[in-house]
Amino acid sequence: MPIFEAFSILILPQLLGARDLPFPRLSAYGFWCFLIGGVFVCGSIFFNVAPAGGWFMYPPLTTQYQDGLGPDIWLLGLSFIEVASLAAAVELIVGVLKTRPPGMRINLMPLYAWYILVVGVMILFAFPPLIAGDLLFELERAFDWPFFDPARGGDPLLWQHLFWIFGHPEVYIIFLPSIALVAMIVPTFAQRPIVGYSWIVLAAVGTGFLSFGLWVHHMYTTGMPNISIGFFSAASEAVAISTGVQIFCFLATLLAGRLTRSVPMLFVAGALAIFVLGGLTGVMVALAPFDFQAHDTYFIVAHLHYVLIGGMLFPVAAGVHYFFPLATGKLLSPRLGRWAFWLMFIGFNVAFMPMHLTGLLGMPRRVYTYAPNLGFDTLNLISTVGAYVLAAGVAVLLFDVVRPRKKQPFAPRNPWQAGTLEWLAEMPPQSWGVRSIPVVRSRYPLWDQPGLMREVDTGRYFLPGAADGHRETLITTTLDAMPVQCQRVPGPTFKALWAALFTGGAFIFATFAWYSAALISAVLALAVILLWLWTGTSIIPEQEQKDVGLGLRLPLYESGRHSVGWWAMLITMIGDMSAFFSLVFGYLFYWTISADFPPAALPGPGIGWPVAALLLLLASWLLTLRARHDNREDRNVRYQLDLAASVLCGVAGAAALMAGPWFNGMRPTEHVYPAITWALVVWLTLHIGAGVIMQAYCMARRWRRRLTPQHDMDIQNIGLYWHFMALTAAVTVFTIAVFPLLTSAR
Amino acid sequence: MKRGTRILSDADHRPEQRQPRQTLWQLVVAPTTWAVHFMLCYITAAVWCARFAGRDGPLAGPGRLIAVYTVVAVAIILVATWRAWRQHRWGQQAPPHDEATAGDRRRFLGLATLLLCELSLVATLFTAMVPALIGDCR
Amino acid sequence: MRQRLAVAVICSTAVVLFSLPIIAAALPQSTLHPAGRGAELIAGLFWWMAGGALLIWALVIGIAWYAQRTDRQPWSTTALRRFIIIGGAVFPTLVLTTLLVWGLWLLAPLRAEPGTDALRITVIGEQFWWRVRYPDGTDNQIELANELWLPVNEPVELLLQSRDVIHSFWVPALAGKMDMIPGRTTRLLLEPNRTGSFRGACAEYCGASHTFMALQVRVVERLQYEAWLAAQRAPAMMPTDALALAGANAFLRNGCGACHTIRGTAAGGRVGPDLTHVGSRLSLAAGTLTTDSDTLARWISHAPTIKPDARMPAFEVLPAAEITAMAAYLEALQ
Repeated sequence: MPIFEAFSILILPQLLGARDLPFPRLSAYGFWCFLIGGVFVCGSIFFNVAPAGGWFMYPPLTTQYQDGLGPDIWLLGLSFIEVASLAAAVELIVGVLKTRPPGMRINLMPLYAWYILVVGVMILFAFPPLIAGDLLFELERAFDWPFFDPARGGDPLLWQHLFWIFGHPEVYIIFLPSIALVAMIVPTFAQRPIVGYSWIVLAAVGTGFLSFGLWVHHMYTTGMPNISIGFFSAASEAVAISTGVQIFCFLATLLAGRLTRSVPMLFVAGALAIFVLGGLTGVMVALAPFDFQAHDTYFIVAHLHYVLIGGMLFPVAAGVHYFFPLATGKLLSPRLGRWAFWLMFIGFNVAFMPMHLTGLLGMPRRVYTYAPNLGFDTLNLISTVGAYVLAAGVAVLLFDVVRPRKKQPFAPRNPWQAGTLEWLAEMPPQSWGVRSIPVVRSRYPLWDQPGLMREVDTGRYFLPGAADGHRETLITTTLDAMPVQCQRVPGPTFKALWAALFTGGAFIFATFAWYSAALISAVLALAVILLWLWTGTSIIPEQEQKDVGLGLRLPLYESGRHSVGWWAMLITMIGDMSAFFSLVFGYLFYWTISADFPPAALPGPGIGWPVAALLLLLASWLLTLRARHDNREDRNVRYQLDLAASVLCGVAGAAALMAGPWFNGMRPTEHVYPAITWALVVWLTLHIGAGVIMQAYCMARRWRRRLTPQHDMDIQNIGLYWHFMALTAAVTVFTIAVFPLLTSAR
Repeated sequence: MKRGTRILSDADHRPEQRQPRQTLWQLVVAPTTWAVHFMLCYITAAVWCARFAGRDGPLAGPGRLIAVYTVVAVAIILVATWRAWRQHRWGQQAPPHDEATAGDRRRFLGLATLLLCELSLVATLFTAMVPALIGDCR
Repeated sequence: MRQRLAVAVICSTAVVLFSLPIIAAALPQSTLHPAGRGAELIAGLFWWMAGGALLIWALVIGIAWYAQRTDRQPWSTTALRRFIIIGGAVFPTLVLTTLLVWGLWLLAPLRAEPGTDALRITVIGEQFWWRVRYPDGTDNQIELANELWLPVNEPVELLLQSRDVIHSFWVPALAGKMDMIPGRTTRLLLEPNRTGSFRGACAEYCGASHTFMALQVRVVERLQYEAWLAAQRAPAMMPTDALALAGANAFLRNGCGACHTIRGTAAGGRVGPDLTHVGSRLSLAAGTLTTDSDTLARWISHAPTIKPDARMPAFEVLPAAEITAMAAYLEALQ
């Protein structure tokens, strides 16, 4: 995951001939979050507090039978890292859709960008359910809210659902970007455009969708009805179609051209051999009956390594060899590369091929020893030998990457004679990326547009200089990449680091149950983020338009759906909705599994308070929208009054929302019904808190004249946020107040 | 028209520009239909078996509902297929649709949509096949 | 490059040749030697799928091998389009449809209703052993641990539960696995069709000693089954030799009865396994040790060392003589 995001944030601007992606500070924030969270989670092993519940963390083992910090580190550490992933997803989606070079219509987009787009969207829908799950889990561990405790109406299976709604798409989130590397490498060495471009787009988008219909295939043996198993088995088989098509497109590309032998292609070939086998065993285990035997055995271990090593490690190794000149200006050694490949390829197969058999002979997963005479001994010995050979291969690769190469000459420009824009890069690479942003007329502009490199270098295209001393890049339309705006991107700042540190503090202190420290840290994070927004976003430019070159004048400021900020808000809120609906799913799940939910003996939140809350929140939403209108009409006083009223309504709405369960005496530790009701209420309350801060922020912005009738990005974006709040409030109130009435009336 | 814009659009002065608008969203219509159909089938069957029918209960009731879902879903996908087909066939040019023209963009997006429709159709029919082969809630 | 390729080919051939005898051998925990209808149906599915998968794999690799050759003509656009449509879309769809129909069709027999008069055994997963309850013909149940005896050619339904964390019941020779989830009862159909001894294991990670949670299954003829059940139903016999008698006293005196039941004595604890006939068990500590006085003595004195996080405490503080006596007593509980 971090490998892919780092790779993409590095390569994508070059691939698109852009100066930078639109939110470099968000990327920086995400990077620091990754680093802090990663060090925290991985470092736990040195202090003997590492999580010991498996990566899937099934309760009740991890809720009631494991003391210590391990599970908390897993839950909070990973939630924190997920925040970073979501930040990267926002950046990548907007980057692909809005910062393509002029002329790069959607049918000319490099396949890598297509895959990144799909993966970004997948992250939005896959990670939030886990964040919701983590929230419930941590509430149970820290405050004894019994979400997964069957004695009080909870159910451990809910965690499995939420975990695997994340967990299975996650596999594809790892796999697709790697296969995207293959889609860039194969055409280069076949010296032919990719064959079946549309088919690969089909495969990427199709896999993205279908991968969300697979999660229960990790739960075939939990005793679900056959019918449920069947649905997921059907989707698991269907996803193989979209995966297989890509392989055939790559083969077709090779058949169309003549292969130039090279180390990257060697790794691609190895990836193909390994991944196809992993895919085929995947088709096998997708059938529930076979999975009844194979599930949680070494057969699965073999399968998943064939998929991930073949579908991820080998393509990444190919990508490292291929893109290394873009990072350092120098090539890796082909000789060491071949050594690394053969060691890795042979070592991998020696290690993992026997595991298919070990699993079929009955060896379960996650055992550290086993009884003799079951046939496992020799097979495991072979696997161990293979593992060392594989490790040796990886070591050779790593050595090649880190060895000093001061004397080695720089690679020639575009060393592989590739056709895509990233190879415009000069050797050694320059900090500004491309000299000027070209007009693209082909999928492989370096092949099809003769003289492009020279014209770019001489600044014949867009934004050849930085006349105003700002970092700038072009924003283009989604389908046809017509330039519509010149976006100023911010430079480096420590604020992103501080924000990440304090965000990390909020999660990490909570791990140790130092809640006041965590709270202080969260408040500081909020303060830094507000400062960052105040000083670094929605800056009113000194001129409305600027000449970007070739006689084209473009606006420097856009708001509403023309601005990248609006898209970022939309994308973030889609992710937020997916977490919220996971909580609602939890509520309905409890209703499904229990005939007595909501329990007749326990109080509910009533109807009066929740409905009052809904009305107040809707009022807050409408007032925000009216303020947006007021601003456009330049009615300052009414704008401030409307926003002030919306803040009041928001706060009152949150209070009314809490009042329902509070005054009716719903105790969250008593039963899962009050617990899940409170979870929804708390979720909404926190979001209203954020919404109210945004409203106040917009009041201050207008007061300080950083928000004007023409430059209204802030109020536009929070208007969008409040659309989602209205929806969240309506669904929450319906779920906690109306739904129990409907079901008890039956 | 300014020069910069002209550079970008000089290949575009063809009658096909007067086609109705295309959007990226059309790509996801068919797979979204699959997703909604899939979730509805799963939820209907799961709720029926867990709350109403019991462990050995028959699936006839939800089976009929699922048949209705399937007819609706297939109809939506077929309409999307037809629209995508028309976009794809516009101008009668074969793939790879890699010209820098609005026409090729249209044909490409049409083809990609078309292929996604077919994949979604297969996946939807796979889903619909399940209650046909499984008769009870066990 | 050719040499390295040769190494790869030799390695893989060696691996395949080596694995053939392992596949052929009848191992106690193998899915490849079914002794029950469920496992048989699944193994049949597996062999067909494995054969097909190898064929398809070889085909794809063959195409790739051909594609990298430089002494061939590039393919035409039409041929390539046909290649993608047939190879990448139509063929997989047909194969997958067939497989899906087969897989769905198999679900019904694998999870069928065995009839109301079928034998129903309750198995409860605990950290890290199996509590087993047989119906004894009346309303009562006989409580045993860590082994199942089953009559051959009769369907048996297991009612699977858990007392603590999630476990998974798996006897590969008989059928697929089924999770044991706190708060739920899951069911598993077993239809053994040949006699023999088989081994099962917990297949869901359940804590530090997950790997030491195995069970023994013995499939026998109906008569032998009934004889065994009758013997298990009987209360424990008072031992006759002096050492074992001393052990019986020590067992009660040291409070072992607080956790363990020995029917026919004052020991009536419900925390640990019932020990009424522990001496006759096929294994000790859920498949971890053999059952004899030595292993019993080791278990009494060092249980948590043998099996980390097991709830059985270490009684090494007791005099060695007492432990020996208790071990002799338990071994005598046939």
